[in-house]
Amino acid sequence: MSSEATVGAVEGPQRTLGQFALRFRVSGVLAFLILLSAGFALLRPQFLIPENLSAILSNAAILMIVAAAQAVILITRNLDVSVGSIMGFAAYLTADFAARNPGVGPALVLMPLAIGGALGALNGLLVSYGKVSPLIATLGTMSVYRGLTYVYARGQEVTSNRLPRWMIELADARLSGVPILVLLAAAVVCLLAAFLRFYPLGRRMYAVGSNPEASAFFGLRTQRIVLLAYVVGGVMCGLAGFLYAARVGTVTVILASGWELTSLAAAVIGGVSVTGGSGNVIGAALGAVVLATIDNGLVLLGVPEFWRMFIQGVAIVAAATADVVIATRIRRSLRVRRRLVRSAA
Amino acid sequence: MTGFGQDPTLRVAGITKSFGASNALADVSFEVARGRVHALVGENGAGKSTLVKIVTGILEPDAGEIALNGELVRFATPIEARRAGVAAVYQDPKLFPHLDVAENISMGAAPVTPFGTIDRKAVDARARQSLARVGVDIDPHALVAELSVAELQFVEIARALTADLSLLILDEPTSALTPAEVEKLFRIVRSLRDQGTSIVLITHRLEELDLIADAVTVLRDGRHVATRPASEVSRAEIVRMMVGRPLETLFAERKARTPGREVLRVEGLRSEGVFSNVSFTLRAGEIVGMAGLVGSGRSEIAQACFGLTPPTGGRITLDAAPVTPRSPKQMLGLGLAYLPEDRDGLGLIMSSSIVGNVTLPIVNRLARLGVVDEAAQRSVASEAVKTYDVRTTGIDQLVSDLSGGNRQKVAFAKWLSTRPKVLILDEPTHSIDVASKAQVHRMIARFADEGLAVLVISSDLPEVLAISDRILVVSEGELVAEIDPSTADQATVMMAATRNARERADVL
Amino acid sequence: MSRRLPQWELTLVVFTLVAAAWSATLSPYYLSLDQILNSTRQFVYPGILAVGLAVVVVLGEIDISLASTLAFGAVLFSKFSAAAAPIWLAVPIVVAACAALGALNGVLVARLGLPSLAVTLGTMGAFRGLAFILGSETGYTSFDDSYLYVGSEELLGSLPISFVLFCGVALAVGVLMRRTVFGRRCYAVGLNKEASWAAGIDVAQLKIQAYALAGGLAGLAALVWIGQYGSARGDNADGAILLVVTAVVLGGVDINGGRGGILGVVLALFLLGTMRNGMGLANVAGPTQTIVLGALLIAGVLRPAIFRAVARVYRLMFPRLADAPN
Repeated sequence: MSSEATVGAVEGPQRTLGQFALRFRVSGVLAFLILLSAGFALLRPQFLIPENLSAILSNAAILMIVAAAQAVILITRNLDVSVGSIMGFAAYLTADFAARNPGVGPALVLMPLAIGGALGALNGLLVSYGKVSPLIATLGTMSVYRGLTYVYARGQEVTSNRLPRWMIELADARLSGVPILVLLAAAVVCLLAAFLRFYPLGRRMYAVGSNPEASAFFGLRTQRIVLLAYVVGGVMCGLAGFLYAARVGTVTVILASGWELTSLAAAVIGGVSVTGGSGNVIGAALGAVVLATIDNGLVLLGVPEFWRMFIQGVAIVAAATADVVIATRIRRSLRVRRRLVRSAA
Repeated sequence: MTGFGQDPTLRVAGITKSFGASNALADVSFEVARGRVHALVGENGAGKSTLVKIVTGILEPDAGEIALNGELVRFATPIEARRAGVAAVYQDPKLFPHLDVAENISMGAAPVTPFGTIDRKAVDARARQSLARVGVDIDPHALVAELSVAELQFVEIARALTADLSLLILDEPTSALTPAEVEKLFRIVRSLRDQGTSIVLITHRLEELDLIADAVTVLRDGRHVATRPASEVSRAEIVRMMVGRPLETLFAERKARTPGREVLRVEGLRSEGVFSNVSFTLRAGEIVGMAGLVGSGRSEIAQACFGLTPPTGGRITLDAAPVTPRSPKQMLGLGLAYLPEDRDGLGLIMSSSIVGNVTLPIVNRLARLGVVDEAAQRSVASEAVKTYDVRTTGIDQLVSDLSGGNRQKVAFAKWLSTRPKVLILDEPTHSIDVASKAQVHRMIARFADEGLAVLVISSDLPEVLAISDRILVVSEGELVAEIDPSTADQATVMMAATRNARERADVL
Repeated sequence: MSRRLPQWELTLVVFTLVAAAWSATLSPYYLSLDQILNSTRQFVYPGILAVGLAVVVVLGEIDISLASTLAFGAVLFSKFSAAAAPIWLAVPIVVAACAALGALNGVLVARLGLPSLAVTLGTMGAFRGLAFILGSETGYTSFDDSYLYVGSEELLGSLPISFVLFCGVALAVGVLMRRTVFGRRCYAVGLNKEASWAAGIDVAQLKIQAYALAGGLAGLAALVWIGQYGSARGDNADGAILLVVTAVVLGGVDINGGRGGILGVVLALFLLGTMRNGMGLANVAGPTQTIVLGALLIAGVLRPAIFRAVARVYRLMFPRLADAPN
């Protein structure tokens, strides 16, 4: 009799323990960010002046988009280390085109989106239909795309004076004090977050990452979903490349190399699991802000730039550790609770 | 309910399927009437899962036809089958752990709003409805990762109910459930049947047939043997049809044994939340059976002794020396071996050869200065194949190509190559054909005769009674009884196994 | 562990010969022994890294921090050289230090249970950061000659010592994987680590040892690097990991673990080297070579499909040879 009551009923606040843990992860990043900022502010009060905070967000803005792109792919239990190369390729081709066609208007932005989408699609095809491991596939395309950029550029760079006026101005423009770049990034991230949360296709991406075998079994068209994830990621990288070019002015062939690691770092710090199925783009965006904050704080403290790489690396390991620790805690407490409930009845 | 002349829910006719040279199914034909719980039994390799895969659209038959409610059908995917009203629930849950129950139930066919977004309210409603139909109280917002094994099965069934279900196939649903959960499951099954759904139940547990089945189909070696109403056929007959041999010759004879010195002493062994206060001894030359229901904690006790999951308290003395189990490496070195219940996943490396598997635990003993002695390895493996009568083409054959019974023999060879003093076998005849079962029993008896202390964990009561010198009964994480098999029967053991902890005091 | 015929390895040899033939047609200088031997230099340090990585991959894990460990090793060597320490003292200490970094990876993966991709992604940055911190901005170039010896000198006139070192390392690790208890256990763990644990293998210790081995070999590769390029700085070998992973994957080591061997990796390196050599002679630009490398990496992973096609050809030509399971 009594043992019957225990079947299926997990009472009280523990009921949402799993969801609590997930939500906790994102708020954990937020809390960490606040702590970090507080720390820097104590050491260097000028950290808190509006211009500085705005600079952090501007620096973070583009990374937020790329981190969100990486997050989408990670959620499906894949990854993309060619994001930097996609950014570079899209940025260069677009900048070069704009330089050759001086009168081009804002419709130009469609070009990097399309290029990014195409490159992302190739990644997606290799991974989902070619059954190539995502690390290998995108490691390969990383060098192929970068190499193609080199070949196309023939050693030239595109200087800022040849880019459209409106593009350069976009990078510095503000809307009631807030940089347009930041607003744009926030909007993109929010749209993506809404897609992943409210739309069936978005939820299927989580499903595919959570249990790929079950997805196939239930006819979820796993391959198409993974392909779409890579295409979305690619489009975002194209956009990010374009914005980065606008910001940096001179578009070189090595634009954005190294961003693959930074985007992965931001996503991991933001609670997106490398093993798929969990995490969200908001967390990844916050992770980007964390990285930008660390950079900014280090500069204010006068710490040499190379520490940045070291700290970034440590942050990734710390974030991954935190995730594992949390997951183990949950599992252990659930197991104990279930048994105790059963025997106490 | 079942009108005269009404089409059967399922009719298979002449189903044939081969994989390469082996015939998985040959000309199988039978019917499942409407509103029936129809058991499907047969030994491993009889073709049950192949048949299920064909009916649910995972495989295509080489020949034959399938009719659902009178109409010929041929499904290309399980989704098609589901839409037509045929769903199967397997032992490994095909659910998404990171998502909540409601989403899992609706995944792939979620209701949407006019904007294209997921209609969360409708999803929740559908989940509550399905769960209510199943009759369980599970929070639709709970993450699937938080659920117990039984709850996972119930959610899977709830999932299957979202379409209009004509036929529900349950593949060994009770093997990981506690008795209360089994009761609940059967209640659900009966209620579904009364609502008009037919249920095909695949099970190895013949005692369940008395509880739930209306009809039974027996398969043997890919062929249909018989389909009868459950009331018209006895268990002995069923076994005979499954095996082709009468029941009595299945078990090895037990002979009186005089046990030697104490080899293993367990005192107050405890693992937080899993089992507590477990104390027993094993002596050389005896076979001790450990009975109990699935989920009572027997495997966990053994795994704690083996160091697979170290215990949180208690004392273990092996060969008069106290020891704290920390890892299998340590315990194997001290002479305690444990053959896991999950033989194919944990006991053997499937994609490795016989010689690779058999010599793995002792690879360092068959080496000089770290370099492996190939000749010694091969001779150990050849010896093992002979000793354990493994039917194989050679010691280089991959273990995955062997039958269940032969894999078990390889597993024996592997663990016994470490020359243990204590051997713990966890469900050693699980998923093995009956002929090999008898062989295994004889081998176990031989181990004891050679001086090993053997502990056999088994859920097969006749088996436990037949081969043990004495029986320990575990219930809900505690050792509740020690039974002398010569004076007890299945009922006695079952009673002890299902006795609630509170009542335990009377027995001991 | 598999006794199948080395068909993939044979395929690599065939491709290498084809590449060599193509290179010979491009330039009359190609077929000189001196030239070929000299061209092996470029692939020694990635080769040593690849051998170490192969061990880790067989275990079912990954390590993308090896190039960073090399940079750290190079910078550490510079410290020793600056302090006028003798080379026979510097080498064991640097190798040990790099092995310690590797062991750190191993501990994080094996004892904390972190996913190896995430961990080595982090340590890739952390170790390189360490290299930057330890080193100077402009890099160190005033190495004592004894430090440069291994990476720059030759035996018997034209045989680079570094190449000899590579062959020795490959042979040693190859024997380690095929013939020793350690190797046997690595393959078992790669195929099924739970079953290996239940069979009495200390999986955690094995992983730590493998990572430490890879790290130590990276330290050895650093010795070759400084001899070859004469400089030590935090950004040494940045990006080299692509070539290293390519060599391992192209060599037939299964990225999921449990299959493949050092021989394949060595042959893959020869193939890559021959192609690079040929492309250099054909004046193919660096970036294009990178494209080819990337394409090869992908082809390497599509290997099973290529393999099946090649196997079909074999079966037509030599029906008596046994088919390999795949």
